[in-house]
Amino acid sequence: MAWLGFAILALVLWGITGVTQKLSTNRISSLRSFLWFCLAMVALSAIVLVVTPPHWGMATKVVVCSVAGGILNGLGAWASFRALESGGKASIVISLISLFPLLTVVLAVALLHERLTGMQMAGAVVAIAAAIMLSLEPTPPKLDA
Amino acid sequence: MGEASTSRRLPLWLGWSLVTILLWGTWGLVSKIASDGVDAYMNQLLFTVGIAPLLIFVSWKVSKGIPGENRKGRGRGVFWAFLTGILGGLGNMAYFQAMVKGGKASVVTPVTALFPMVTVLLALLFLKERLGRVQWIGLGLAFVAIYLLNA
Repeated sequence: MAWLGFAILALVLWGITGVTQKLSTNRISSLRSFLWFCLAMVALSAIVLVVTPPHWGMATKVVVCSVAGGILNGLGAWASFRALESGGKASIVISLISLFPLLTVVLAVALLHERLTGMQMAGAVVAIAAAIMLSLEPTPPKLDA
Repeated sequence: MGEASTSRRLPLWLGWSLVTILLWGTWGLVSKIASDGVDAYMNQLLFTVGIAPLLIFVSWKVSKGIPGENRKGRGRGVFWAFLTGILGGLGNMAYFQAMVKGGKASVVTPVTALFPMVTVLLALLFLKERLGRVQWIGLGLAFVAIYLLNA
């Protein structure tokens, strides 16, 4: 179950970014914030390159999928900004976007032939429901004149 | 014209949201395929290569100027954005490592997608934001989901 520890670490780190991103976009535009986000990724990768010597000679499929991961993730972030800028209510857009793991589950089962137990299937559904509910910000109380 | 016809068929925001689901959902799949042949560090390096064209495009957009952007507080805003990138990248590596360690894409991705539970808790503690009833239920369900996915 070593995977779970790393998955929870990712969850915590990405969870913190929810706050730091908000602190950033409270002060600068989402575009500038995204630029510095990407630059930080480059800086981190430069450190990784120095600290852990890269080993080349990987299968083409692996390289293509890794690079595609960056493209898909980056364009996904860009598309989510566009959704918010196109008039979508943040609570609805973010809740809707929270459905993305559902697609990963479907693709992984269909293309990678992954099998889920009944409990895991229920867990995936509950996780998606939880992510949607967490993204629904409470409505501020109406102030009657 | 494009805007009007789009709004009759599919609102623009809905279209972009669906594109996001498609892109991020597929990212989970390709990350698993990549993790079967490369370690988390190398995966992050190649991930950054993938992000580079977007970085160039965004740099170009920013260099043209951002109308209405306030200069006040820019330094702090940049600091938080940079920290977001560092933490996001470290999160990526943990996500890749979870898959390298044998986690299935169909299980790891729903677990990590629960990251708003941490955001919500931190916002509650440090930003003094209030949680709605639905968010509290979501928080409880997030723990149930982790238990079930780990079963």
